[in-house]
Amino acid sequence: MSLVPLYGFVEGDTMGVLVLAARDMRIETVIANLCQSAAPRVSIDGHQWDLLVGGHVLDPDNTVDGARLAPLQRIDLRRRRAGAP
Amino acid sequence: MFPEALSGTPWLPHEDWAGWDEPFKTKFEDYVVGQDDKERGVTAVAALLGRAKHMARLDPGWLAATKLHAATLPLAEFAAVVGNLRATRFARDGAWRTMSTLGALDELRHTQVPLEVLHPLLKVDRQFDWAHRFYHTNNWVAIAARHAFDELLMCADPIELAIGTNFVFETGFTNLQFIGLASLAEGADDRLFEAMVTSIQTDEARHAQIGRPVLEIVARHDPERAQYLVDKWFWRSWQLFAVVTGLAMDYLTPFARRGPSFREFVQEWVAEQFLGALERLGLKRPWYWEIFEKSVANYHHMIYASAYSYRASVWFDFVLPGPRERAWLRRKYPESFPAFEPVWDRITETWAQTDPGIDFAAHGKAIPTFCSLCQLVLSHGTPEHNEARVTMHNGEPRVFCNEPCQWIFEREPERYGAHKDIVARVLAGEAPANLIEFLRTYSALAYDEWGKDAYAGVYPWLVRTPEANR
Repeated sequence: MSLVPLYGFVEGDTMGVLVLAARDMRIETVIANLCQSAAPRVSIDGHQWDLLVGGHVLDPDNTVDGARLAPLQRIDLRRRRAGAP
Repeated sequence: MFPEALSGTPWLPHEDWAGWDEPFKTKFEDYVVGQDDKERGVTAVAALLGRAKHMARLDPGWLAATKLHAATLPLAEFAAVVGNLRATRFARDGAWRTMSTLGALDELRHTQVPLEVLHPLLKVDRQFDWAHRFYHTNNWVAIAARHAFDELLMCADPIELAIGTNFVFETGFTNLQFIGLASLAEGADDRLFEAMVTSIQTDEARHAQIGRPVLEIVARHDPERAQYLVDKWFWRSWQLFAVVTGLAMDYLTPFARRGPSFREFVQEWVAEQFLGALERLGLKRPWYWEIFEKSVANYHHMIYASAYSYRASVWFDFVLPGPRERAWLRRKYPESFPAFEPVWDRITETWAQTDPGIDFAAHGKAIPTFCSLCQLVLSHGTPEHNEARVTMHNGEPRVFCNEPCQWIFEREPERYGAHKDIVARVLAGEAPANLIEFLRTYSALAYDEWGKDAYAGVYPWLVRTPEANR
């Protein structure tokens, strides 16, 4: 099973981290992994998080392949704003 | 006699270099006498203080700053010997070649003095071994430093060397380390460090003068290239000094001994003096000046927090900023530091729930990411928005920590394109993805050398939770 390496950036963090995601991995799992990677510097609990590519929020039920994430693409994890669905 | 490939671009007729002049008119005999005096001065201070006893008296944070200096600068100075010797042969004017000869001797001294003073301290602290070892490792900071210094000092032609090193690096930035940090060394009671860098600075002030007349002539005949070399090396120099001097001034200098902030030093030495020198030569401030000003308020804070959480990946220790340090940083950086408070709250909270000395409980475990140009961690921007950008070059994705790094890469892709950053090495199977393996085998760090919290996470202001002390 090949892995897709991604450049991950978490709102509130001071650096980017590498995320290795399986192609059939759900976006929800990518979010959880990215939260864990940033946890030494960012308080993760108490927030809901959205994963964005190019400003668009990804469906957490989709997969890495389904979301067409390309190797070494930038992904951003942002706290869900009040009022957002 | 002077092929363009070795003497540099623009290749101008000999008469265009006539009149090359600098203010120091030094004879070799005077040079030798002066250098001998300086050597005696540093040796006397070292003998008086007794190195190991002196070191034992220093604050742990300041000691970490000296280890950062000891590793990153002495062997970079040795690379500058090579660059100066190339100019000794291929620079286009006789006076320039003579000054470069003395410059090469200066840089040899700047290698030997800190190695002589600092490396023997490995007998009592193995982290000082990195004074010699740093540039011979694949430590991520060493990869970044080599990427800049190999280009600037080992490979550049005499024109690029003079503009990039003598003008930009030495007149623009070394004052931060050799005067600014030296003044903090005095406050930190490190008379030996102060004597050492002050002695070196007197040489720097002389051979830095090579840069202005070279830039003046290039600006007259090829202003676009002059501006490009200034813009390129200003950015690359800034990144290195933000890491080396920024961390030392704003985080590792003991609180009671701090003076001006890193930004205030930058404002005085870089923004005012260097810009004034550029204007006198008819050149413009670098096109990314607004980005630079924003990064002066943010970049070293981003790097310090990131490096603190990956401290085992370097050879010096870190200090956790406490309430009074954070109040000082808020006062010095009112518009930017508040965004870093949650990061330090989080790290402090983790230490509070952890037993003293268990560094890996408050440590990153994911693979960090690095810029395709500067090879430093992707830490430009703010905690709210990281400025990294991914772009395609020859069908391959490249990541840059900011716009100026991307701009430099795209101006000379043939120069930079083949270099692999650490992520590329990991993905190619050339470096281990497991952090401990990465530290031990690839970064050449043993447990007793790698960076830790300087106080093992024990601070008078940090209250441990009952669970942590059970």
